[in-house]
Amino acid sequence: MDSLKEDLKKQIIEQLNLEDLTAADIADDALLFNDQGIGLDSIDALELIVLLEKYHGIQLTNPEEGKEAFKSINTMAEYIRKRKAA
Amino acid sequence: MIYIGAEVIVSPLGDSAEDNWNALRENRSGIALVPSAGFNQEDIHLSKIAGLNGPLRFQQLVIKALSALKERIDASMLASDRTIVLISSTKGALDDNLHDQFSQTCAAVKQQFHLAHLPMVISNACISGVLALNMAGNMVEIGQYEHVIVIGCDAASDFVLYGFQSLFAVSDKPCAPFDAARNGITLGEGCGAALVSASKSVFNNTPLQLLAGASANDANHISGPSRTGEGLVRSVSRTMQRHGTGTDEVDFICAHGTGTVFNDEMEAIAFDRLALSDKPLNSLKGYFGHTLGAAGVIETAVCMQMMRNGMLIKSLGYRDAGTSKPLNVILENQPKELRTILKTASGFGGGNASLMIRSL
Amino acid sequence: MKVITAYCNLRANEALVNGEVIARRDAGSEDSWFKQIYRQQELAYPKFYKMDVLSQAGYLASELMKRADPGIFADYADDEIALVFANASSSAETDRRFMHSYESGGSPSPSLFVYTLPNIVLGELAILNKWYGENMFAVLPKFTPGFYLDYSRILFASGSRALLGGWLEVTANGTDVFLFLVEEKVSGTEFNDENLLHLSQAGAVAAY
Repeated sequence: MDSLKEDLKKQIIEQLNLEDLTAADIADDALLFNDQGIGLDSIDALELIVLLEKYHGIQLTNPEEGKEAFKSINTMAEYIRKRKAA
Repeated sequence: MIYIGAEVIVSPLGDSAEDNWNALRENRSGIALVPSAGFNQEDIHLSKIAGLNGPLRFQQLVIKALSALKERIDASMLASDRTIVLISSTKGALDDNLHDQFSQTCAAVKQQFHLAHLPMVISNACISGVLALNMAGNMVEIGQYEHVIVIGCDAASDFVLYGFQSLFAVSDKPCAPFDAARNGITLGEGCGAALVSASKSVFNNTPLQLLAGASANDANHISGPSRTGEGLVRSVSRTMQRHGTGTDEVDFICAHGTGTVFNDEMEAIAFDRLALSDKPLNSLKGYFGHTLGAAGVIETAVCMQMMRNGMLIKSLGYRDAGTSKPLNVILENQPKELRTILKTASGFGGGNASLMIRSL
Repeated sequence: MKVITAYCNLRANEALVNGEVIARRDAGSEDSWFKQIYRQQELAYPKFYKMDVLSQAGYLASELMKRADPGIFADYADDEIALVFANASSSAETDRRFMHSYESGGSPSPSLFVYTLPNIVLGELAILNKWYGENMFAVLPKFTPGFYLDYSRILFASGSRALLGGWLEVTANGTDVFLFLVEEKVSGTEFNDENLLHLSQAGAVAAY
């Protein structure tokens, strides 16, 4: 199990108040902003930017950049690893 | 007939409607770059009143505006049981007392001006001002009160600035409503006031007519503008219907125009649906910034000044068309006889409100 | 005449619909009181968890009224129900939390900021029910029947046919939530000062 991805799921549930979900409900490739996926909205996207800074020390200054990064847990984990490696 | 007059504007551009008018006529803006104002110490464009510092800023502004208004009316009606004051505001005296943002100011105003009733606070995000003016018109129309003084006021705060920064909604230049390159709001502070009355004789100068309008919710999103303009369309339709006003009678639109991509787009779509997109239009946010709960009152006061002076004020910050539906945003001040102006507002919580001002 | 056809009170320890207790607080639960109601009543609107306390209160009270009478709002077009709400503390509870987010939590929280206005609950109810009618939120020193009575005259004279009124005072010190529906009917509990004050206090004694 990828611990970064599991941590991300818990952080998202906590930061976004998704109390009806558990980490097990979020598949690594589920689309976060699709109603058939997790169904997040535009404010959640901004809250994910806060999450990146708070838990991972990554600053995102352009919300557009988040659009690609926040597609799924997989893309978020990839984005975090890339930013940390840079 | 419902009269409206004795308008007052307290802003970075001056302490009276006339001082503000002189600045607007010269297309001067109250917006300036404030060093290190942002959450991460960024320099931020703001429209802030010089010398307004320290505690009780909200109360100071409200009292200043009401004192100025008092000079323009038969002041004996202030103490009348048939008079009430409405205060429209989003955050009131938040910086003085987070847990009780209004009652101290209301009590102070009541005491200082010997009012019969405690002022009532209307807090509906950015439509507060227009909504309060409509409430005033309706109160007078059905005879609940004879005179209603509306004071719209919000003071600048880190709280609100940081909030809009967290939404990535703050412009990196002075806001540019409806322009293709717009990228957010510029926050402002200020206070507007006007008297709404059933009696023409209480005004020192000739008043205008208030055609009170309707509000309508978008039923779409709590912070994102509607993609269809539904609420604004319904609000304006109902306002015009109520007074039997046809589109040909609207001479000018003083729009909300915050300068965010989505708000201005929403308004363009709504005015297109309303068959009003050819009407000359401006947003005044380029002069005052977005003064939130004060905006509707300040901007209506400017509409009244435009009518009194027979001149349209250009939409500051606008250069190139930047909405999917065309608008007739005015690029230069223009002399024009005005009979009817439509004023609109839209805000968080999905609210939309509109009213019309008519010359006598 | 105008009559009060339904109402809901949320008290510190009880939820009442039309005067009947339908939920009691479990003092041993780790969940907030509003979450307990949401779960006990098996409501399903995940957005509830993201809402601030005012929106949660408005959501719960209106949904509980619907549950008692599913057709309660069915007689009206989508813009005929006016929402007229008030409280004493504006959005102070959420304001405090938002301030905490940037003073101690690292950075300002956008999802808290959007609830730092008292009228957001009106937007939430409009979104949920697809209502495009009149909205009003006032901040008053205390629950004042006259405010609703006066403003209802304005609204009924200008196209609204029903009024959903609300008093939403939810702070660290207490819970005082009262929603009521006013409609035109031939008989019923007349919408007047005395009745409104009386119904607003339903369950108040039981809380102590």
